[in-house]
Amino acid sequence: MSGIRNKAAIVGLHESPLRDAPGIHPFRIMMDSVLAALDDAGLALADVDGLCVASGDWAEGGAVESVTEFADYAGITPTWFNGTDVGGCSYLVHAGHAAAAIATGMAEVVVIAYAACPRWWPLTTPSFDPFVFPAGPGQYELPYDPTLISAYALMAQRHMAEYGTTSRQLAEIAVTFRRHAATNPHAKMQKPLTAEEVLGSTLIASPLRRLDCCLVTDGGGAIVMTSAERARDLRRKPVLLSGFGAAVRRTQISQIPEDLSTPAVVSGQRAFAMAGLGHKDIDVAQLYDAFTITPLLALEDLGFCRRGEGGAFVSDGNLGIGGALPCNTDGGGMSSNHPGKRGLLALIEGARQLRGEGPGVQVEGAETALVHGLGGTFCASSTAILTV
Amino acid sequence: MKPVIDNDSAPYWEGLKQGRLLIQRCPSTGRYQWYPRGHSIHDPTAIPEWVEASGTGEVFSFTVIHRGNTKRPPYNCAMIRLDEGVIMLASLRGIEEADLRIGQRVRVDFEPLDDEITLPVFRPL
Repeated sequence: MSGIRNKAAIVGLHESPLRDAPGIHPFRIMMDSVLAALDDAGLALADVDGLCVASGDWAEGGAVESVTEFADYAGITPTWFNGTDVGGCSYLVHAGHAAAAIATGMAEVVVIAYAACPRWWPLTTPSFDPFVFPAGPGQYELPYDPTLISAYALMAQRHMAEYGTTSRQLAEIAVTFRRHAATNPHAKMQKPLTAEEVLGSTLIASPLRRLDCCLVTDGGGAIVMTSAERARDLRRKPVLLSGFGAAVRRTQISQIPEDLSTPAVVSGQRAFAMAGLGHKDIDVAQLYDAFTITPLLALEDLGFCRRGEGGAFVSDGNLGIGGALPCNTDGGGMSSNHPGKRGLLALIEGARQLRGEGPGVQVEGAETALVHGLGGTFCASSTAILTV
Repeated sequence: MKPVIDNDSAPYWEGLKQGRLLIQRCPSTGRYQWYPRGHSIHDPTAIPEWVEASGTGEVFSFTVIHRGNTKRPPYNCAMIRLDEGVIMLASLRGIEEADLRIGQRVRVDFEPLDDEITLPVFRPL
């Protein structure tokens, strides 16, 4: 099952340093990032024949056909494109699909771009998002006014009752990621955080509190991918996409399996199998941290610990530098940057670690990175394993 | 938020108006499914049949939403596992936040929103 193993590489990347961007349209941040990422790679806009964009959700600047809108803004005519939108992990999905396109000659140079400006966005655009659309599957749940956070809270509450996970263990996750952000000059939050502060913060949806939640930032970034062969002649050390997996299932949190397993089980198994690597081979991980419960569940789903043991795993210091699995080394979505769909920014940080350029903490000599994202409320998952 | 009723869901919403909680059962496997669809997720060639649920179950999980999308006092959402084995989202009534617990036995009650929509809610047994 080698599939697209090592066929394509990340050859350029850029994360916008912006965290507040009043008045700046998200497409401007995307375009600035695309140009910076191409420059990083030693490529030009004219080299680009593939484009991945999913900017049709709230505060992302586009509408449902945003891949067309952004091609127009950029002034390019890509002949391969992908507008798959499955929420926060969309850009990991794009990377896998781009690698397949590159491997089969459908595309040569693909850019993946993302930005959102929720801090100033003035429109309350009607969305096709099932969480706000009381039709089809949403008609049975929306009348009760669930919130996005409440879905994660339901998972956390059950995990605590079933497995004995504690709010303090969840808090340790936020504290660790904040420690990583302390040295990241672009991180939105750099001030050290204590578990007591997390436990004392405002209750949003029990048992989750304000500091269990990711940030809301304006920002974005871009990645450039091409074939592993062409990558060898470019400016930067290529970061190979060695493993990839994705899976979608369910829109409602109520339909989660009773052991709380998510589609990450499937995406993770597929990514490891394609890469031909095991858990102990992973030097650094970027796990989507929408809320503290999110990376904890990912650790279990991906098999870094057994089901129910995520709480013990995170409170043993495993996610910090020197731990078994240093995680969210730039501060993650909880402390560095979370405009709404963080998958691309997690992928950028995974690649930066393998280039030795982590802006927060750097895992010395890291050669393998696992980047994992989810979309919606554990509806979609995608896992990428990067190597150098 | 008022639901948009369609052909798949009409019997469900009609049942609620009459004080009956209807769910679907697969005629080929005998297994239940939630939410209503035009096909069985257990055997996609089978057309599910509507059956009245026992109306009893237990709290699988719950959350009290203190900060929601609109300004309103804290309210709860709960995942209720019906005795038929399916889990649905609903609200719990008649229980204080401090007394909420997973595993609590509950029974369905019916709350009319207007002439068209009645919502199932659950109360402690």
